[in-house]
This record gives sequence, structure tokens and C-alpha cells, in this order.
Amino acid sequence: MEVDLFQQGVDLMLYGMGTVFAFLILLVGAIHLMSLIITRFFPEPVQPEAVVRMAPAAAAVVEPRLQAVIQAAIDKHRGK
Amino acid sequence: MEQILKLWTESGLAQVDAGTVVMMAVGFTLLFLAIRKGFEPLLLVPIGFGTILVNIPGAGFEAAPIYDAMGHLESPGGLMYYIYNVGIASGMFPLIIFMGVGAMTDFGPLLANPKTLLLGAAAQVGIFVTVMGAVGLSSLGILDFSIRDAASIGIIGGADGPTAIFVTSKLAPDLLGAVAVAAYSYMALVPIIQPPIMRALTTEAERKIEMVQLRPVSTREKIVFPMMLLGLVAMLLPSAAPLLGMFCFGNLMRECGVVDRLSDTTQNALINIVTIFLGLAVGSKMSADKFLNWETLGILSLGALAFCIGTAAGVLMAKLMNRFSETPINPLIGSAGVSAVPMAARVSNKIGLEANPQNFLLMHAMGPNVAGVIGSAVAAGVMISMVSGF
Repeated sequence: MEVDLFQQGVDLMLYGMGTVFAFLILLVGAIHLMSLIITRFFPEPVQPEAVVRMAPAAAAVVEPRLQAVIQAAIDKHRGK
Repeated sequence: MEQILKLWTESGLAQVDAGTVVMMAVGFTLLFLAIRKGFEPLLLVPIGFGTILVNIPGAGFEAAPIYDAMGHLESPGGLMYYIYNVGIASGMFPLIIFMGVGAMTDFGPLLANPKTLLLGAAAQVGIFVTVMGAVGLSSLGILDFSIRDAASIGIIGGADGPTAIFVTSKLAPDLLGAVAVAAYSYMALVPIIQPPIMRALTTEAERKIEMVQLRPVSTREKIVFPMMLLGLVAMLLPSAAPLLGMFCFGNLMRECGVVDRLSDTTQNALINIVTIFLGLAVGSKMSADKFLNWETLGILSLGALAFCIGTAAGVLMAKLMNRFSETPINPLIGSAGVSAVPMAARVSNKIGLEANPQNFLLMHAMGPNVAGVIGSAVAAGVMISMVSGF
């Protein structure tokens, strides 16, 4: 009976640890695969959009100011 | 006169015995630890108070309903009886809490660095070594644990309260009080238990290792991940499906972005309500006959052992991975492989900052931390499917 219990404990440890490691190693592979598929075939449309939107936004910050300066210069010139 | 005598025999003073007094003292101790020392107060306040309530002699909080021979209800039974049977015997409360934990979990750091899952696996070594410890004590005739008891004690090493309660309610309901108290107390003690082990197993140079910044993870990956995990569990390990299924459900609600109201309820109101009743129900199992014995002492010490071994195994695994990995891995994040989210990750961060004030490990440690949740749920599934036959 006692040997039996010990045997059960050993079994539980080996199978248990084995399963935990096997499952999580499999999960590592599955995550890599998933990330690869998603980043390659279904890239986030938001990401490039954000980059594209950022560029004109950055440009726009400079442009109106520059435009205002130019406009002011022209106005001043015409006002003369 | 007869009335007075009846009132006296029903009073607490007349019915009290040493066991209930000691258990009420245990309840007050838990309250003290929670309120004064700040040990997991969200759980230990309800558990402590539940312990006191259920040990009031004659109050019948834990009484089962009584039916007469005709099937008519004679006495409806006590509050705790219903809370326990509805919530814990059925496994419902731990699962709802797991759903809430899923809704609170960000898998981003894990998806950015999937190999940290191995740390979550390594830290589960503590669970199984402790099973061996319990079986060993039993074989030597020191204490009397069955294999079901041993499995329930081992799961304390998973450092995951709901998982421990789920497994114990299925395998060894009699030990529930002791196992739950041990699990939550040790989770509260993470910042005290882990650092000495982490320092002992790492060198100063290793603690200073800075890790490469994690890549950003897209929303799509975060949405697909819980469904993929669920698929894998369903195919390979259905016994872990209740825990991980609810976990994935909660996480999907969080990440999909279209049910923010549900996600908000799950991670706040619902989990709080369930925590109250879970604590009370665990407290209701803290009766003198089940708690005041040598087995409880064994459970408390084996639980601490499980915790230490899990921490050590995680750190050693991280050292091993650091040796073979292209990108450096700081061994300190290994200890976060025991679940205890987010406390274990914070401990890794803190010890890392001590060695190198520029080294922020928190996000790196969150990967193994959530991996530990998955790992202990998988371990729980294996134990339930392997042991429940006996």
C-alpha cells in the first residue's frame, strides 16, 4: 500500500512535469507561428496608418506656422 | 425556570469547547494579519470572519438542510452551507475569479517573448516535488496523506489561490481551509520568501543583466492568442479546460475591445463579489476537527517548501536559458514564474533595481508571471485527471 502510494506520487510527478513542459513548449511554438502569420499576412492596418498620419501631422505643425510667416511677410510687403 | 435553563443550554457559553475557542482565535489571528500586517486582506478578511462565524456554537451557519421522511423541508440549513456548496463544491467561484484574472491579464509581454513560458513551466517543479514530499511523509508514517491530499498540498506551490481552491475542492475538500489559508498567506509573503532565494542563486553580475526591450505586440495577436490557447487546451488537455477556458474568455473580453462594459464588470464588480463569498466559504471549512491537527502543520510547512522550490527552479531555469539564448535573460525574472501576479514580477523588478538602478525588469518579468498562471492551471488539470480516479 505504501509503496503503491509512493509509486503514484512518482508517476504524478513525472507525468505532471512532462505534461506541463510539453504543453508550454508547444505553446511557445504556437505563439511564434501565430505571430509570424499575423505579422506577415495580416499586418495591423492601424500601425502603418498611424505612421502615415504622423508624418503629415508633423509636417502640418511646421507648415501653417511657416505659411503664417510667409503670409505675414507678403501682407507686410503688399501693405507698403 | 425551564425557559431559563433552555436559554442557558443554547447559549454560546454552555456549548463552547476548546476546539471552537482555538478556531475563533485562529480567525482573529487571520483578521489581525490581514488588517494590521496587510497580508492579502481581500481574502483573509472574509476567510478570518468566516472562520469566526462558522465556529459560533449553535449558530448553525454550516448546517445542512433537514428533510423529514416525506421530503418536507424541516430546517433550511445555514448560510455557509449554501455558499460553500453553490460556490466551491461546484467549482464555480474559483472559475469566475479566473475569468476576472483573465480580464485583468495583459499577455503582451508574454507574446513579445514567448520563451519565457518555459520559466512558467519550470516554476511548477515546486508543485510536483511537494507532492513527493507529502507522499514521502505519508510513506514514512509521519503523517497520513492520500495521493489526493498530496496533490492538493502540492498545488499550493503554484502560488495561485483560485487554482489551489479549485483543485482542493475537487480532490480533498477536507483540506480546503488549510490549503487555501496556506496558499494565500504565502502569496502575501512572496516579497519576504523569494528575495533570499533569488540572491543566493544568482551572482551580482547576473542580477545586473539588462534585457532587450520587448517588441510591440499588435492587437490582432492579443485577440487571437486566447482563442489559440483555448484551442490547444481543448485538443490536448480538456481537464485544464474549465480553468483555462474561463481565463481565455476573460482575456478575450479584455482584448477584443467591443465589450468593455463586460470586461469592466468582470475585472471589478464581479470578481469583488465572488471574492467575498469565496472567502466566507473557505472560512466555513475552518472547523476545529478539520483544522486542528498535525496534518495542517504539515500542509503549512510543505506549502512553504513548494513555494521555495518553485522560486528556485524558476531562477535556475532562467540561468540555463541565459546561457543558451541569443538575447540576454536576467535570471531574476525566473522567480516570477510562480504565478502570484503581479507580486512576483514586482519582486524581480525590485531585486533587479537593487543591483542596477537603471534596470527595469517589470515588463520582462510579467511574461513568466502570466506564464506561471497558465503553467499552474495546466498542472492543476493534469493532477485532476490523473488523481481523481483514485
